[in-house]
Amino acid sequence: MLKKRVIFTLLYDNGSFMLSRNFRLQKVGDLHWLKRNYNFSDIAFSIDELIILDVTRGNRNEERFYEHVRFFTEECFVPIASGGGIRTLEQASQLIYSGADKVVVNTLVVENPNIIIDIATKFGAQCIVASIDVGLANNKFNIWTDNGSVKQEIGITELLNNIASLPIGELYLNSINHDGTGHGYENELLDFIPDKFPIPVILAGGAGKYKHFANALQDERVDAVATAHLFNFVGNGLQEAREQLLNDKFNLAVWDVNLAKYLANCI
Amino acid sequence: MNLTNIPKVKIIDYGIGNIWSVMSAFKYLGVEVEIVSDPEEISMSSILVLPGVGSFRKCMESLMNSGIDKAVIEAVSNKDAKILGVCLGMQLMGSCSTEDGKTKGLNLLPNRVEKFTSQELNSKKVPHVGFDSINFDKKEGLFKDLPDMPDFYFTHSYRMLVEDLHGVYATCKYGVEFLAAYQVNNICGTQFHPEKSQTNGLILLKNFIQL
Repeated sequence: MLKKRVIFTLLYDNGSFMLSRNFRLQKVGDLHWLKRNYNFSDIAFSIDELIILDVTRGNRNEERFYEHVRFFTEECFVPIASGGGIRTLEQASQLIYSGADKVVVNTLVVENPNIIIDIATKFGAQCIVASIDVGLANNKFNIWTDNGSVKQEIGITELLNNIASLPIGELYLNSINHDGTGHGYENELLDFIPDKFPIPVILAGGAGKYKHFANALQDERVDAVATAHLFNFVGNGLQEAREQLLNDKFNLAVWDVNLAKYLANCI
Repeated sequence: MNLTNIPKVKIIDYGIGNIWSVMSAFKYLGVEVEIVSDPEEISMSSILVLPGVGSFRKCMESLMNSGIDKAVIEAVSNKDAKILGVCLGMQLMGSCSTEDGKTKGLNLLPNRVEKFTSQELNSKKVPHVGFDSINFDKKEGLFKDLPDMPDFYFTHSYRMLVEDLHGVYATCKYGVEFLAAYQVNNICGTQFHPEKSQTNGLILLKNFIQL
């Protein structure tokens, strides 16, 4: 039986990892910091997937970002999706050649779906994650692109219908208003998903504790939950959350975390 | 120490997809890894990994244009090299696929590749993406030391049919039963990504090396 997933999202800005609250970024530390404060191999064995997003607000140094992506492909034996600022097939290819299994596209979904078709023609629809940032303004939910800075006119359900007709493998549905708050996911966003939506849905934005994962995973419209909160799950927070979900009989994949250590250099 | 006993895995690079993660997983196990794209070198290798992502037709075209197709067949059929095809790499070793019109495969195995049909899926989502459990009869060969019904990471819209297979194999059910992994003599394939499947995948890769 297909399992649901718990995903960790790393936000990257120009060499540093960031904490985001309502899309306002705060620098937390670089790769060195991350390695020191997180036992990354423990984290890696507690998640089903890793997403690394370049949310750099100024000029992007893409080469440097690709190097960071490559580092994680050497440390984790889970799928890695990566994106941020992808506008061309060339950028998507670079990410995949740096070890990403999937690319995350956001602004392209609204502004230039043809490039998505090009990426899918080269790498397959399964490797494209459409990320949608939804924000509330004047009591109305809107789609925002370009790191949440540009409000788009297109309706959410209309955009989701477009996504369903594009070669896209997954939807990353993110709430700007709940982002980084730790107050729980914005479950209302799920109501915008059309009936019989054919693409797996990752819900993101707002998770702060175990209970939020559990609530979202109970919803049959949710295939995966993501958290980008570096502090709520610092130490072995993610590991404990996963263990509790498994104890509570959530339909997650199982593997032996301890055995992995014995497999290192076993041949 | 006898250096010739250290197994060296050659990962075939034909310009398609992601070879870093499969390299990292073998390195984690302590296996020496090398990337190869020269047909002559491939035909002389004893342990090969054939990755693959994207479309069956495109991958076959790349293999044929570079002459890697013949080199792989030479190594596997005539020189008894062992090979592991991963994801599309597993499918490529079959006879044909219906992806982008009918395309012939490397034909190392008779199995065919077809898309999941909507009838079979009964409104299940495509691609089949995420961890799913596999079934096999005996914990031997490729499946040695694995737990019962272990979870592996899949991402695919086409699947290989369970037909005419003489060897050890595993199945997975997603609307319909399909071939999740096989080991037919020196030819192994996994529809899932062992390099993306945490401990279970590492166990399977260890088994492949030790076959």
